[in-house]
Amino acid sequence: MWTYDKKLQYPVKISRPNPAMAKVIITQFGGPDGELAASQRYLAQRYSVPYDEVKATLTDIGTEELAHIEMICAIVHQLTRNMTIDEIKKTGFDTYFVDHTTGLYPIAASGIPFSAMYFQSKGDLITDLTEDLAAEQKARTTYDNILRLVDDPDVRDPIKFLREREIVHFQRFGEALRTTQDHLDSKNFYAFNPEFDKRRRRR
Amino acid sequence: MDDRKVLLNRVRICDFVLQEIALFLDNNPQNKEALECYQKYLDMQREAREMYVKRYGPLTHTDFAGGNRWNWIDGPWPWELDEEA
Repeated sequence: MWTYDKKLQYPVKISRPNPAMAKVIITQFGGPDGELAASQRYLAQRYSVPYDEVKATLTDIGTEELAHIEMICAIVHQLTRNMTIDEIKKTGFDTYFVDHTTGLYPIAASGIPFSAMYFQSKGDLITDLTEDLAAEQKARTTYDNILRLVDDPDVRDPIKFLREREIVHFQRFGEALRTTQDHLDSKNFYAFNPEFDKRRRRR
Repeated sequence: MDDRKVLLNRVRICDFVLQEIALFLDNNPQNKEALECYQKYLDMQREAREMYVKRYGPLTHTDFAGGNRWNWIDGPWPWELDEEA
């Protein structure tokens, strides 16, 4: 169960629309390393996890990613306000506009629609947490690249916040991996899969 | 910045600190310092939230305060600029 809080995790207030920028930033909604993939990855992975610390970590970070989807969508929404048809054509936003007008649809910057193939839920905790660590770094790189492309401080500010969250989540997943390894056989972490071979689980 | 935004930011700051400590506590559930810090910000968050809800309306729909109108629908919604609401 989730409840909706009627506020953004971090404020988004963009005074100058910029459809070309929106087309790039939307990749963090529906792209390969975006927030939608992140949220679905963690919230899907958690069900078969045997350790309470890791169940909590995946639930809480997965939930925060939902709030990040909302921030990215708010940025894209505000960047595409009050556009004239002329601006839409000149900025290259026409290829998005023709299919979605100014509605929010999860796609990558390249135009490829969101796909569940962007993430895995492998049912093996070391494997999944290792993917999660990589996912946070890939998202951080994407935000770094967005910051190379964007000058407007109104846009850079919330993007910098989101970039920092990737680093914090990487740290927390690092702790979850350590917690996991503490439960396992220190001589061979791979001796069994703690999500499947439950009878051999320690503790 | 108007009063509504100042108060909303206070809630937001408290919620952010709570989120940050919660993620840490998930893997360090016995950490005394973190538990105390969580409690401190939780008290601040409850106070700020209560003040915001009383003056500016619900943050979740269960903040309903009675009356003959469902003010949960009132904007601005979080993704909107004030001029759109």
